Formats: sequence, structure tokens, C-alpha cells
Amino acid sequence: MNMSLAQRVLLTWIFTLIFLIMLVLKLDEKINWSWFLIFLPVWTFDLILLLMLIVKMAGRCKPGFDPRNGTENLKKRAWYLVAMLLKLAFCLTLCAKLERLMDILVSSVCIPLWALLIGAMVELGYNVFHFRRD
Amino acid sequence: MLFSLRELVQWLGFATFELFLHLGALLVFSVLVALHMDLDKQTLEMSWWIVFSPLFAADGLSTYFTAIVSIRLYQEGEKRLAVLRLLWVLTVLSLKLVCEVLLCQKLAEQDQAHDLWFGLIVSPLFILLQLLMIRACRVN
Repeated sequence: MNMSLAQRVLLTWIFTLIFLIMLVLKLDEKINWSWFLIFLPVWTFDLILLLMLIVKMAGRCKPGFDPRNGTENLKKRAWYLVAMLLKLAFCLTLCAKLERLMDILVSSVCIPLWALLIGAMVELGYNVFHFRRD
Repeated sequence: MLFSLRELVQWLGFATFELFLHLGALLVFSVLVALHMDLDKQTLEMSWWIVFSPLFAADGLSTYFTAIVSIRLYQEGEKRLAVLRLLWVLTVLSLKLVCEVLLCQKLAEQDQAHDLWFGLIVSPLFILLQLLMIRACRVN
């Protein structure tokens, strides 16, 4: 499951490109697809990431697993899993809002996004502080 | 998650602090968008230019930060690195800024901006994606 940087970049790049093309076509009213279909590259990409994360977390259960730094790694993986679920929740509510399936405020749609951004900022801030202290 | 922070810094060419700055700007921007959409015009009169101001501010601060880093690198004799870093960051930030300004103009003047179709607005992002792919090959 260890992919090189180029492979991971290519994966991200392809899905971003397809999503952007579909988004532009939808916004310019060239296609009349549902918003859930427009977000298909996002769902696929998230599914791949979730699968990779679950496989890595399940790797802890193997008999030959080396438990050194295990707690730290597990915490990190758990945060990644929560982040993925928050992103999925945001995209799902956004699609439901755009399709007018739910009558909710934009603030309610944005709550998972804010939680995700705050979490990411805390992690990045810790990294900045950590490196400075070193 | 998919990329480590070190790989992201290498690939995007931005320092960790700059990434932090842009994330913060995105957070404030999303709060302002939510306020703009949810509150009626009588309660809060806020134009789209004000809503987009955190993103513009982050671009400005990032440019300032990059200029300082490049000057210091130049003074320490790393001339090639300083020029390359400055050129790359300015290219990325200017493409991002063009996209933001066009989107803001489209949203602010919806009646007058019929010719400004979304394909045109997102075109700087398409160019940016190609540049990022080329850079990824070099970093790899």
C-alpha cells in the first residue's frame, strides 16, 4: 500500500481535475446533473483514502506488529479518520443544501468544515511551535 | 493523511507558517460566507468584497513573508534558491488571486457579469494544477 509521492500526487491531481471540470460545467449550466453526481470524484477519492486508512489501522492487529510509537500513531490515524468523516459530512450536507433536499442554514452546513479547519490549524500550529522549540 | 507535512511543504513550496495562514484565512472566509448567506440584508450589510477580504489579506501577508525569506536567502548567498522561491510563490499567489478576484466580481455584480462564465474564472486554477504536477515530478 506504500505509494510513491508521484503516484499520490497523480491520484490527487486526477480527481481534482475531474471534479473542477464537472463543477465548471454544472455552474455554467452546460450539464443538468445532480450535485451528488458532480461530487462523484470527491466521493471516490474519499473512499480510497478511507480504505487506505482502515487497512493501515487494521495492520495493528497483525501478529508481527511492532508496538513502538503505537499510541502516537493510533492517535494520529484516529484524527485522520475523524477529519475524513468531517469532510464527508460537509460535502454531503452541502450537496443536500444545493439540491434543496434539506432546508438548513449555511452555518449548519459549515459546522463540520469549521471543526476540520480548526483541527488542521491546531495540528499545523503545533508543528510550527514544535520545530521552533527544537 | 495522504501526504506528510514535509512532503506538502516540498511540493507546494510554501512554509508551514504560510499554510497555517491560508488555513486561517479560509476559516474566517467560510464564517463570513455563512454570515452573508444566512443573515438578511437589514441585519448585516456586507458586500462580497468584504467577505473575500481574509483571502486577499492572506495572499498579501504570504507575499510579504516570502519577500522577507527571499531577501534573507539572497543575503546568505543562496541567490538561485531565493529567486526560484520568490518566482514560484508569486506565480502561485497571483494565479490564486486572479481566481478570487474574478469569482468575487462575478458574485458581487451578478447582473453585469454575464460574460464572466465560470470556466474563465476557474482557468487560473487549471494552470495552477498543471504547474503543481510539473513541480511534483521535479520534487519526486
